[in-house]
Amino acid sequence: MPLPAKLRVFFKRRNEPKTVISVHSERIVVLVSILLVLLLGLPLWWSTTRVYRAELPTEDIAKFKHIDPLHIPFVFYIDTNMSITVDSINKIEKSAGLLIDKQRALYAPNEWSVRYQASVCQGAAPKIPGHYTLTIHEASDALVSVDIAVGRTATVSVPKTTAIEPVLAQLISTMVAKEEQEARRRRPGSHKSSGKAAWKHSDRALKYSAEYAVTFTLLNEDPVDGVSVDWDIEQAVSQYIQPFVDALRPLTKLTITSQVLHHAGSPPIKPQRANNYTYLSSDMLTHFVNSPSWNLASTDPISPMLNFILYVPSLESQPMHIIQGDAHKQLRTNAFLVSQWGGITIANLPKDTIPGSHIVFSQAQMQEYMGAFIAQLREHIGIRRDVPLACKSTPLIKNIRVRQATATGISDWELDALLRQWLVDNRETAITTLQSLTRLVDSMQNMVVMDEIKTKVDQSLFELGAIEGALNAFNPSNAPVTDHLKACQNAAMASTLAESAFFDPSMVSMLYFPDQHKYAIYLPFFLPVALPLLTAIKRVLKARKEVARNSKDAKKTKDE
Amino acid sequence: MNLWQQAMRAAGAILALYTLLCCVALAVADPSGEAKMEQFFDQDDHTNNWAVLVCTSRFWFNYRHISNTLSMYRTVKRMGIPDSHIILMLADDVACNPRNSYPAAVYDHPRKATDLYGDNVEVDYRGYEVTVENFIRLLTGRVSVDTPRSKRLLTDDKSNVFIYMTGHGGEDFLKFQDSEEINSYDIADAFQQMWEKKRYKEILFVIDTCQANTMFSKFYSPNILSIGSSRKGENSYSYFHDYDLGVSVIDRFTYYNLEFFESVDMSSKRTMADLVGAYNTTLIYSHPGVRTDLYSRKLNETYLTDFFGAVQNIELTTEAFPIGQPESP
Repeated sequence: MPLPAKLRVFFKRRNEPKTVISVHSERIVVLVSILLVLLLGLPLWWSTTRVYRAELPTEDIAKFKHIDPLHIPFVFYIDTNMSITVDSINKIEKSAGLLIDKQRALYAPNEWSVRYQASVCQGAAPKIPGHYTLTIHEASDALVSVDIAVGRTATVSVPKTTAIEPVLAQLISTMVAKEEQEARRRRPGSHKSSGKAAWKHSDRALKYSAEYAVTFTLLNEDPVDGVSVDWDIEQAVSQYIQPFVDALRPLTKLTITSQVLHHAGSPPIKPQRANNYTYLSSDMLTHFVNSPSWNLASTDPISPMLNFILYVPSLESQPMHIIQGDAHKQLRTNAFLVSQWGGITIANLPKDTIPGSHIVFSQAQMQEYMGAFIAQLREHIGIRRDVPLACKSTPLIKNIRVRQATATGISDWELDALLRQWLVDNRETAITTLQSLTRLVDSMQNMVVMDEIKTKVDQSLFELGAIEGALNAFNPSNAPVTDHLKACQNAAMASTLAESAFFDPSMVSMLYFPDQHKYAIYLPFFLPVALPLLTAIKRVLKARKEVARNSKDAKKTKDE
Repeated sequence: MNLWQQAMRAAGAILALYTLLCCVALAVADPSGEAKMEQFFDQDDHTNNWAVLVCTSRFWFNYRHISNTLSMYRTVKRMGIPDSHIILMLADDVACNPRNSYPAAVYDHPRKATDLYGDNVEVDYRGYEVTVENFIRLLTGRVSVDTPRSKRLLTDDKSNVFIYMTGHGGEDFLKFQDSEEINSYDIADAFQQMWEKKRYKEILFVIDTCQANTMFSKFYSPNILSIGSSRKGENSYSYFHDYDLGVSVIDRFTYYNLEFFESVDMSSKRTMADLVGAYNTTLIYSHPGVRTDLYSRKLNETYLTDFFGAVQNIELTTEAFPIGQPESP
C-alpha cells in the first residue's frame, strides 16, 4: 500500500542525495547545539559540584597580633583617715606605673603580650575582682608592715616619720609586676624550664577546663591480714572541699565523686624497710601508681580527671613514710603529687590496731588528709602560693604577712590571680585556635564548612571583643569599673567556642584529593564527547577554507 | 598527511598537555617547607605517654596482624602505660573466631607460652569500627560528641604518642578492612592537624607492612620519629607458622622488636639507638627504615621509656593546707 502523502514527502526529503551545502548546514547545526549545551551545562556543573562553604570572618581573625598587648588594669583604692591629697594619689599611680614598666622583661618574638597596669583612687572598692582596698593607718612601731587579708583588702601600717607615697608605690608595683611575670612564665606553650632538675609542678598545672572530675579514693592494700576501712567522706567533702568548689564555681565546675577500693593489692614498688618503719624514697614514688589494678576510671568523656588517693598500707608495712632528700628526713604530710594525674596521701593507722578490725576515718581525723588534698588540688588547678606577694619583705616594707583562707581554701587575691591567668591563657588559646581554623579551611578548598562553624566563630570573636570591654569599662563618673571575672568568663567562652568549632566532627572530609584524581574522574566522560566535537570543528573549518579557495579560483578564472 | 599521522600528532599534543598539567599540579601540591616549624629543643619534659595500636586487617588468615598488635599492647602495658592511655584498634576478633581451635586465646608463638588476649584486655575500636575515617577522627580529635572517654585521644602538648600500625600495605597506602585504604598524605595531614592544635609533643610512628617506609615519607610536621619495616618495593614477611592454628602467628619485624623489648623494663635506660641498632636485616628479611630528620633529639639520647613507659613526675607535698583551722589573729 503506498504511504500517506506527508510521510512520502518526509522520506523523499531524507532519501534525497545530500548536497555539499545541506551537509555543511547540518554540521553547523550540530556544532552549535553541542556548544550551546556546553555553555549552559558548564555553569550548572560548576554550581552543583561546589561544596558548601560558609564565609568565615578571616580578616577579623587576622587582626589579632602578638604585639598588640592586652591591658589588664588593677584598681587600688586608698582608704585612710590620714590626710592624703589627690596630688599624692596621682603621684603614687605614676611612680607605681614607672616601677612596673621598669620590671617588665622583653617579649619573645612569638609571645602574646599582656600589660598589667595599676590605677589608684580613693575610697572604698566595689566588690568586683580587680578592685582592691589598701587601708592605711599609723603604725605603733617604727616598721612599715603590710597585712594582706583573705578578702580583697590589705592593711598597711606606716610610722609617722615615713612618707606614704613611696611605700604604696612600691607595694602596688611589686604586686602587679610579680603577677605579670608569673602570668607570662606559666603560659601553656612556654618552655622556660632547663632540664629535669629545674622542673616544678607549678609550671605544669592543668589547662583550663570548664569542668574537672575530681575523685577521692580510699585504697586498702590488704584487708585479709589487715583491717577493713571506711571513711566519712561525705561529711569531710561538704566541710572541707565544698567551700573550695563553691568559691571556684563562677569560673569552673568541680564534680566530686568518691569510692572505696577494699583490696588494692600491693603497689609495684615494695617499700624499703628501716628498723621500725618502712619508707619510700622519691625515685621509688614515680612507679607507685599501679594503674591496671586500681580501677580509677571516669564516666565523663572529656573533663580532665584528678584522682586523690588515701592509701592505707598493709599492717606489716606500717608505719610507711616518705623520706625526703639524702638526710632520710621523714615527710610530715606523707603526701605526694603526681603531675597531671592527682595526689596520694599515705594514712598510717595507730600502732595498736588489731588485725581484722573495721576502721572508719572520721571527719575530724580526715582533716589533715583533706589539707594535703586541698594543697595538691590547688597546685593542679594552678593557684599560686603567697599571692599577691611571695616575698617576706621589700626594700621599704619590712614585714609582709599574707593570710591563708582556711575556711574556703582559696583567698580572693588567689582567686583573682587565677582568673587573670586563665583570662590570658584562654584568650591566647582562642586566638590561635581561630587562626589555625582559618589556615585549615584555606588549605583545603574541598572541605565543607557548615553554618554552625561560622556561628561559633562569630560568637567566639564577639566574646574576644567583649574582653576589652569588660577590662576597660568606666562608669558615668569616669571611674574605672574593670571586671576581671567577667573578662575571664568571656575569654573562657571564646576559647570553648573556638575549640568546639575547630574540633567539630564535620571538619573531616576528603583530606587528600589530588588533581590527578580529578582528571581520572572527568576525562572518561569528557574526552569521548570532546573528540567528535573537535574533529567536527576541524572539518567545518577545512570545508570553509575549501569553499573560500574555490570561490577565489572561480573569480580568477572568471577574470581571465 | 594520512589519518595515522594525524592521530599520532593529536595524541602527542594531548600527552604533552597532560604532562605539563601534572607537573604544575605536583609543584603546587608539594608541601612547601612552610615557615620553619618551631622545634622544641629543650630537655625532655613530657608528662604523659599515649599509645595508639592499630591492626587494619580482618579475616582469619590475617591472624598475625592481630597478634602483632596485641603483643605490642602487652609490651606497652608491661612498661607501664595504663589502659586509659592506650587506644587499641583491632579490625577483627580472632580470639573468638569460629576457626580458632584455641578459643579466647591469641598466641604469637607456636609454643603458646603467653596468651596475648588473656582476661585483662581492653579493645577500644573493634571490628568494623576500625575505619580510615575513625582513625583520622581519633588522631585529629574530631570525634562525634557521644564518643566515650576510652575512645578519645586526650593528648595535650606534653604527650608523647606511640603509634603502631600493621596490616597489608603498599607504596604510600595501607589497606583497611580489605575495602578501603589510607594513604601517607592523609596520615601526614592528620599529624599536621595534631601539631597545629598542640596535641602531641613527640610521635613515634612504627609501621609493619609491605613497603612500610613509604608510609612515613610524606610527613612534614616536627618531632616525629618514624620506623618502618621494609623499603619501597620490598615485602615484609611473616615469621612463625603454627600448625595447630593453621596460620602464621607473628611478623618478623614485630617479632624482633618484641625480642628486644624482653630485655627492657620500666626503669630501663636503653635508648632508641639500641633498638634500631639491634635490627638484623638477614633475620628480618627486609630493610627496616628510620626517619629522623623531623625529630629534634638524637636517637642515642632518647630513652625507650620516653615512649613506652609511664611517666610520672612527682612532687612531694611538704605542707598541707590549713583547711578548717581557725584563722590566726
